[in-house]
Amino acid sequence: MSSILTTEKLCKSFSNGGVQQHVIKNLDLEIIEGDFTVIMGASGSGKSTLLYALSGMDKPSMGKIRFAGTEIQDYSNDQLAVFRRGNCGFVFQSVYLLENQTVLDNVLTGALIVQKNSPELISKAKDLLNKVGIMEELWNKYPNQLSGGEAQRVGIVRAAINDPKILFADEPTGQLNSASSSDVLDIFTQIHRNGQSIVMVTHDLKTALRGTRVLFLRDGSIAGEYRMPPYGTDDNKVRRTGLQSFLDEMGW
Amino acid sequence: MKIFRLSLFNLRKNRKEALAIIFLTFITVFTLGIVAANLAKVMNVFDECYEATGSVRTLMAFRGETYREEYKDILEDDYNIRDMKLGKLLLAINSGLRDNDGNKLSENFVLLTEDEDLKIDDFVKGDHLSDEEIKNIKHPIWIPQVYEITRGYRPGDTLTIVAGGRDYPFTVAGVYATGVCNNSNVMIKLIVTENDYTLLSGVFEVADFLAFDNDGEFPVMEFAAKGEEKTSEKLTQSLFVLDHYTEKYVETQFPNMFMIMAACLSAITMVAAIFLIRHKIGNDIEDQMQQIGVLESLGYTSKEISQSYVYEYVITVGTGAVIGAIAAVAVTPLMNSTLRSMLGRDVKGAVNVLMVVAVAFVITGLITVFALLKAGAVKKYPPVVAFRRGIRTHHFGRNVLPLTGTGRSINVRLAMKSLVRDARQNIGTGFCIVIASLAFLFCSYSFDIFKNGFDVLMTVMGLEVPDETLTLMNGVDAYEFSEEMAKLPEVEKAIPTYNWKYVHCKGYDGQSYVNIFDDFSLTENLFAVEGRFPQHDNEIAISLRSSRDKDLYVGDSMIVEGDSIEKSYIITGVVGAMSNSGINVFMTCDGYRRICPNERPDGICVYLKDGYDRDEFERKITSIYGASAADMASGSVTDGSLEDRIRQKADEKIALLITNYGVTSVDYAVKIGDQMITGNSSKFVVKDVNSLYDLAESQMGAIADATRTFTFAGAVFVAVVVAVILWIISSSNVRRQRKDLGIMKSMGYSSRDLMKQMAIKSMPVTIIAVIIASALSFPLQSQFWFNLFSADMGVNIPLMIVLDIAMIIYCYIVTYICAGRIRKISVTELMTE
Repeated sequence: MSSILTTEKLCKSFSNGGVQQHVIKNLDLEIIEGDFTVIMGASGSGKSTLLYALSGMDKPSMGKIRFAGTEIQDYSNDQLAVFRRGNCGFVFQSVYLLENQTVLDNVLTGALIVQKNSPELISKAKDLLNKVGIMEELWNKYPNQLSGGEAQRVGIVRAAINDPKILFADEPTGQLNSASSSDVLDIFTQIHRNGQSIVMVTHDLKTALRGTRVLFLRDGSIAGEYRMPPYGTDDNKVRRTGLQSFLDEMGW
Repeated sequence: MKIFRLSLFNLRKNRKEALAIIFLTFITVFTLGIVAANLAKVMNVFDECYEATGSVRTLMAFRGETYREEYKDILEDDYNIRDMKLGKLLLAINSGLRDNDGNKLSENFVLLTEDEDLKIDDFVKGDHLSDEEIKNIKHPIWIPQVYEITRGYRPGDTLTIVAGGRDYPFTVAGVYATGVCNNSNVMIKLIVTENDYTLLSGVFEVADFLAFDNDGEFPVMEFAAKGEEKTSEKLTQSLFVLDHYTEKYVETQFPNMFMIMAACLSAITMVAAIFLIRHKIGNDIEDQMQQIGVLESLGYTSKEISQSYVYEYVITVGTGAVIGAIAAVAVTPLMNSTLRSMLGRDVKGAVNVLMVVAVAFVITGLITVFALLKAGAVKKYPPVVAFRRGIRTHHFGRNVLPLTGTGRSINVRLAMKSLVRDARQNIGTGFCIVIASLAFLFCSYSFDIFKNGFDVLMTVMGLEVPDETLTLMNGVDAYEFSEEMAKLPEVEKAIPTYNWKYVHCKGYDGQSYVNIFDDFSLTENLFAVEGRFPQHDNEIAISLRSSRDKDLYVGDSMIVEGDSIEKSYIITGVVGAMSNSGINVFMTCDGYRRICPNERPDGICVYLKDGYDRDEFERKITSIYGASAADMASGSVTDGSLEDRIRQKADEKIALLITNYGVTSVDYAVKIGDQMITGNSSKFVVKDVNSLYDLAESQMGAIADATRTFTFAGAVFVAVVVAVILWIISSSNVRRQRKDLGIMKSMGYSSRDLMKQMAIKSMPVTIIAVIIASALSFPLQSQFWFNLFSADMGVNIPLMIVLDIAMIIYCYIVTYICAGRIRKISVTELMTE
């Protein structure tokens, strides 16, 4: 498999009261196409910062990011926005659906900035919604009329509708109950099985188990990496024990 | 106190918007404060000057030898007027003056001696030369204050009266203050010595005058009718009345117009400020909904929370109002100086601080009330509702403009969805844009009207304004002489006419100035707005004001009285006419002779070819045809060669024959030895050469310039106000939609896309508002100009379309730029919230 995203000496610093805080330090990373990469680490370790930088949501302070063969670190904000359209999908912890738009419109808002309106696009959106369990009766509902799990599933469809090169997710189950979490993670697993590259930040072991590669971040650098076979293709107990021991080793 | 701190926190958070509201309030209070403090002053200055200078309220002049003692009796008996003073003056209508630099001006003025002037006012002297200096001046003249203020004459300057083809240079002895005859648009009063008065009596028309005080507007026509009845003599044609009421109206008309325009602009700003504050409070409440919920859960009442919003605006509006009021008071000297220039009188006195403070209080109060009403919306959100970001976010209604129907552009679709969603807010925005556009259109259109100075006024003057108007001596055949004029190389055409004729149209209060031409198609400044000019002797065209005031239209008939003869005429056309209070009429020469059979054309309108100088032509005409018979008749031959002295003596004799015996043509031949000296009366053909254009320029030029400057400033002002309105709306909307905009950015919408959406969203409202404003501007402008100029200035449709498009593009660009705050929204900031 080829790499889809690489970083070279990636740094990200923030100025806090005149003091520079180096959150990401000279990070070299390679995301392989088709991988379900999970980024873990303690709070403040720079997980989310790394995710924003990788997804073109934020600009690095130094270093290079090569995304699908294009160096994006020097892009302006608008160039990054245009770049994100076709290349990245994003699922947020807080879902962030557009409150004034219906379920279907939320999905289409993400799609229509990339693609022209067509019956195929609309039916694709509906199919995806159906696949994640958002049935027709919910399509014209507004976000406030949905449960947390339903909303997050809509969020996933919105992120996936453009077939992005990488689907980024920032603790997508962080605000869900365990049943809803499981449903959402199943969707991610399913999407991954369909060949979608995923980069997900989490500090939840159950969520991390869905990945194929776990990166442990400590003080802005990758402290360790753990690989697993695709979820569902091995013994879950063994998988859990392996990941747990890796995390223990990392001091998690 | 805690609530007050919350207000301060909000203020600090939205500093720029607070500054914008302070700016709008400042502008409103400043402008309205100035208007309120000075409007009364404009009216008072005039009255105070009358009082201070002991000026009579009515000056009634009887031209020629038409004064009769019976008129005095009528005034005493029927109008209870006492203490009338009878005097003499010289009347110079549309006569020439030259300033220090030799530039010619045309003015209406009266000349009288100091003793006669004391019957009219107290002759209150201002700046003047010393008595010693005045004694050494050959021809001293005292000028009214308006000449010092508006024309810059100073004691010692030369003021030359041009009449009968001759220059009469005077030295300005001093300036005096007067209530009456201190306005170029009405009449100027010049004081000369007894000797100069006598000299000029041969040049200008002598009139007896009655000076007296009365209340209100003097009923001239009623008095004239009584006078005619009592004396059986014609009076209306020879009566010339100046009263306090008319002069005050003329003098204050334009300052008042500017004040009203300024008040309208500030009212627009105030409405904008009120709307913006309401809009901002609405957005703030929505934006801070969860905070409101937290505060309510902590025990703050909704009243306390609404107060925090109100305090915020009391602070901003109060600050703007205080600064505005201080500025309004501070510019008093400047305002006094401006009013002095406009009124031509000294304007003194402190500003009416109480009035300015009242304006500041009223505006602050008004805005506070509106803020209070809007902030009351907090009550709608009990804690639970507030935590859930308000009931409004729970949509159960129809999904308007679903994205499944998106056409070419998602940005347009999303903009339209947002537009529908914020329908109520858009009504307010639209209202603001309607009034701002209305003001912008009005200012721009007015500027366009006056962009070439007062030329536009020529087209609505209701008077033919040729390059030169010749007044002919009695008995000169205007038709023959116009043919002679037309042969001159400088002349493009020469049309015979009657100069300064008035008739009385039945049912009218005053006399109507009558434009008389054989063929109106040869005229260049007269335009019928309806119908056509008269072509037959029983036809007449009337002014637009007459048409509207008297309900007279094309096809109606009217009775006109001339030289004691009344005839009926059919109205064939309506003409915009701002001169003579807008009650002009238009007749053919034959038509005029039906009511004045003894009169013949006595004037010629001369139009010069391009490139010829009017002054030069005047000099040429004067030197060939323009000797003053009256002047020559009283002259004496003292020097020159024998031939010169014989010719001059012969001219004297001719002048005597013309002035005393009505002789119209003389030829002479004198033989001295072998030498034959011959001559004729051709140099006594032209009584006067003057230019109505100069008169119009002197009366209207400054007003046109001031209007142009004011309207340009007004258009810029409105554009700034519109920009501020759109900026506040945009920033407030961006803040309110910060989260949605961040989400959309994360999806790949660029800042430009989102800015475009915001600009597109504003377009339907803007377009509709601008169309409404355009539709409203037709009748409003038409009425405004009619009230001011008694004429229809027309509506320049192409210009209006251009202005509409410009306004729409301007709003788009401003909204787009103002939405630039979107650039600052960071997706990561959103995710870390």
